[in-house]
Amino acid sequence: MESNIADKDIRRYIAESAESHVGPDGLTCPVIRLKTTSSISSTRKVPAKDVEIMALQQGIVPLRYLRNIGTIGLDGQVKLLQSTVAVVGAGGLGSTVVELLARQGVGHLVIIDGDRFTEQNLNRQIMSTEKNLGKYKVSVAAKRVKEINSATTVTVFRERLTVANAQSLLDDARVVVDGLDNLSSRLLVEQACRQLDIPYVYASIGGFNGQLMTVFPGDVGLSSLYGSCSDTLAEQGIETRIGNPPATVALIAALQVQEVVKIITGVGTPTRNRVLLVDVRECAIDRIELGR
Amino acid sequence: MALITVRFYSLWRSYLGIDSATLEADQVDDALTQLETRFGPPLRQKLEAAGIHLDGKIQDYSLILLNGTTLRNLKSTDLKEGDVLHIFPPSIGG
Repeated sequence: MESNIADKDIRRYIAESAESHVGPDGLTCPVIRLKTTSSISSTRKVPAKDVEIMALQQGIVPLRYLRNIGTIGLDGQVKLLQSTVAVVGAGGLGSTVVELLARQGVGHLVIIDGDRFTEQNLNRQIMSTEKNLGKYKVSVAAKRVKEINSATTVTVFRERLTVANAQSLLDDARVVVDGLDNLSSRLLVEQACRQLDIPYVYASIGGFNGQLMTVFPGDVGLSSLYGSCSDTLAEQGIETRIGNPPATVALIAALQVQEVVKIITGVGTPTRNRVLLVDVRECAIDRIELGR
Repeated sequence: MALITVRFYSLWRSYLGIDSATLEADQVDDALTQLETRFGPPLRQKLEAAGIHLDGKIQDYSLILLNGTTLRNLKSTDLKEGDVLHIFPPSIGG
């Protein structure tokens, strides 16, 4: 009861604090500024995420998400803020995924990686800098998320995902995103996601090429590409020869984030039961329908 | 003999300079033999020119799907008219 009264009070305060924002098309929209959200959060002892959700539920847009709303709607933004997304691997794909999910306004990120930044990461891993070489990737990622979006909470696991810990680390996720660099870990994550009934967004890159697919439990998934018997599979592909250039990584990571947004908001169609092959060298995107 | 289509993607398409080709074969093994004979040497030549040496035949260093399923999972190796082989390099990095 007390909580309801407090919520009602906060909602009223949010409504009173709203400002009218005039867009480039001349249309007005009620918005709430970051400064106001932070102030309400700290004075009322409510997480910033909850303040933003309460605002959106009244049709008031946190100004920071104004340019999201046209594509996903108020409800879509609320769903993102209410969601947990796990990112396995915080290197090339993973760190860009984390950055974009924080900007998109996902409410809770679980970031899993046991590695530290090394010099050969600098070409593509967006959170690696000359200054933070040697630091744990998850620690840098958590700090970066806080700098981007104080409403996004972060849980980090400074360890590798294994058969033993996979289910407990991924259990709370609405979606799991692949930021990995080898096949056996990917198969492990896919298996854990199937057991937990969580959609999994797979991607990998090599040179100018990237691959992507979203695997819901029951979908064909990685076995349609790599086979059912993982014992005979190579751990790595042609990227060991042709490299992992930054633009390919950023592009494919961005597509992964779009898959997450589609899954959570229900806007658009996830890339299920087909693999997307992206070739930036020739600016070509192909889709192959996968069989069972 | 079944007339089938082979579609090349990603780096293989760039290096071979073609999107697709047709083959006549009744069995997957026969199709792979023809694939290697026609496309293995030019593909390896391009790869070598780019400083990439890959051992084996084209099927040893490619992902190959028949109608959307990896050859590794196939129960039958018979081919039928209109079948499509998709072939591209494995890219597993991140």
